[in-house]
Amino acid sequence: MSIESIQLDKVSKRFRLGANNEYGRLTEAIASGVKSLFRKSAVIAAKRPNDSFSDRIEAGWFWALRDIELSIQSGEIVGIVGRNGAGKSTLLKILARIVTPTQGRVGVRGRVGSLLEVGTGFHPELTGRENVFLNGAILGMPRSEIRKRFDEIVAFAEIDSFLETPVKRYSSGMAVRLAFAVAAHLEPDVLIIDEVLSVGDQAFQRKCLGKASQLGAQGRTVLVVSHNLAAVANLCQRAVLLRDGLLVADDVPERIIDQYLSEMRAGDGQRVWEDDDSAPSCREIRLRSLSVMGNRSDAPANEVDIDQEIIIAVEYKVLVADTRCSVQIQVKDETGTYVFWSANAPSMNLEPDPWFSKPHPVGTFRSECRIPANFLNDSRYFVSVLIGPEVGIVSVRQDSALSFVVHDTGAMRQEYTGSWLGPVIRPRLAWTTTIV
Amino acid sequence: MANQQDSIPPMQFYGPTDRFGFGQLAEIWRTRELLYSFFLRDLLIRYRQVIVGVLWVLLQPLMGMLIFMGLFFVLGTNAGSSTVAFAPIILTGMLCWQLVASSFRDATGSLVNYRHVVTKIYFPRMLLPLASLMCAVFDFSIGSVLMLPVCVYTGTSIVWSTAWLAIPIALWLVLFCAGCIAWLSALNAHYRDVGYALPFVLQLGMFVSPVVYDVERLRNLLTDRWVWLYEANPIATCIGLLRWSLFGTQLPSLLGMAVAAMMTCFICVSGLAWFQHADQQLADRI
Repeated sequence: MSIESIQLDKVSKRFRLGANNEYGRLTEAIASGVKSLFRKSAVIAAKRPNDSFSDRIEAGWFWALRDIELSIQSGEIVGIVGRNGAGKSTLLKILARIVTPTQGRVGVRGRVGSLLEVGTGFHPELTGRENVFLNGAILGMPRSEIRKRFDEIVAFAEIDSFLETPVKRYSSGMAVRLAFAVAAHLEPDVLIIDEVLSVGDQAFQRKCLGKASQLGAQGRTVLVVSHNLAAVANLCQRAVLLRDGLLVADDVPERIIDQYLSEMRAGDGQRVWEDDDSAPSCREIRLRSLSVMGNRSDAPANEVDIDQEIIIAVEYKVLVADTRCSVQIQVKDETGTYVFWSANAPSMNLEPDPWFSKPHPVGTFRSECRIPANFLNDSRYFVSVLIGPEVGIVSVRQDSALSFVVHDTGAMRQEYTGSWLGPVIRPRLAWTTTIV
Repeated sequence: MANQQDSIPPMQFYGPTDRFGFGQLAEIWRTRELLYSFFLRDLLIRYRQVIVGVLWVLLQPLMGMLIFMGLFFVLGTNAGSSTVAFAPIILTGMLCWQLVASSFRDATGSLVNYRHVVTKIYFPRMLLPLASLMCAVFDFSIGSVLMLPVCVYTGTSIVWSTAWLAIPIALWLVLFCAGCIAWLSALNAHYRDVGYALPFVLQLGMFVSPVVYDVERLRNLLTDRWVWLYEANPIATCIGLLRWSLFGTQLPSLLGMAVAAMMTCFICVSGLAWFQHADQQLADRI
């Protein structure tokens, strides 16, 4: 039984660029309307977009998606993979009818349920019971169906004794549980999941994944956008790769993930802010560069062997004399899991950093942090850098400024050849066995 | 197998379109349960954490009536009709005006205040302003109950032969409000200026419409030549018609009523078309 469930015909989406236009003013609209009356050609003709990247931006417009052709059969679980800004979320929003495409036509069979963000539509003043009905209705469930499943939803959320309490008095965990319970009992023909897998706790993520595969088994169509590539590989039978608003590949997940990762590898382990205006800065401090290198060479590299010490170097300019600085880094992995946070404070350091919290003269400084060898697992990690006068106070920050990959060379796994997928870190620890 | 074929929902297509259609209305009808949910939500939220509760629905028009009666008493002006007591005249005006003002006010902000949902889930967006309108209609219906005690107290006799016409006339006013809020809510989503300008427009509108006075008082000033222009405002015509149907005051001019009816049709149809057009960029622009 293969029935087409989703069909996209040359779908393109164009957005207006620029913060000024975010909330247009009425006077502007009238003025431009009058202008276009006199210049007929001023009406921006929906031009056929070209394939090169620079054409993605034209005359203040940005092509988020271009000429997407896609057909999905019911029962398929399809992963959508791509970098940030590749158009994944826009594609899902178009499928969910939230956003109208600029060109092309979208066809969807049946009810679309989206877990774009769990709990949208909850009203804090309403009680749990009232919110279940409201939220269910917003998600597209008929009232009779909600009534039928009400007990099931409440049991699933484990909140029975708080049913008549306004949601504003709920703990955030309870609110999320209730919201998910409603969403999980909605039985859409097409389910859309976006990044839900990376928010919430582990158990919650498992529930989401379980729900998705269960729906797929029932012959419903599921679309997943996730940075959790392992989940995509596990869950989906098919994946598509988006790059710069174009659909570049459509294949089995393994091959798509390989292609995606090889694209991600482009980069040289260093990020330099040449331009003073674009560099993250405050009045006293300006970030200059961030680089990653293995201890065997001085050159920045975005791939480091697992048995190598990793050096993360932050260079920053102090613009005002007597500024006190503390440098901090955050490391997250591909799935968004927060691996560690570290600062150059004495108690967090192997040896005290002489410049920590000292008044810095004007000049350029370089702080290096050494991550021990045989500590991180073989995966991709993202480094955020934060600088502030004290630990915990941030005046300059750049999130996910750089990424690097730890390579498994086999040096620390000579006795084991299986998969090491899952753990975030892979430290070499002290083991001893004695007869007792 | 045949059964299975039936249970498969049809493919629904959508894309950019500026073609005006009544598909919008059909969709609202299909999702009327959600409309009811939104209405219930608005209603419940409004009277949470208030002591007097739903009594506010009665207090608001009553207070409005008393304030203006007091004002005109102090000023020594007679703003009412020559044949009917002032209190029921002003109460009719107040009830209608509160229908207009509260539906305009709530509906204008309805899309913007709910943008965290509008940008996440699809449903016919028209439901949000419509739910605000339903709340205002609910208040209007409850408030109308006040008419009986006020009439008894002031010794005003209701013209029962035409009183039933009050219902279609009120529906006319509701229809006009629906057209206006289609314009206002989507305009406000695109241009926030609307939300700021609205309070002033409402203040002005209250005096341009015969809310706290009877049209009779303006007849001499406007003369028969211009009174139709005044009555082209559907709010003025509806209030005038309501007073006529209930208390037998003077009927608005035929020309005025015709123009007001045309205005209403125009606003409704254009509002529907504008909303459909604006809806397509709503999630991007809101």
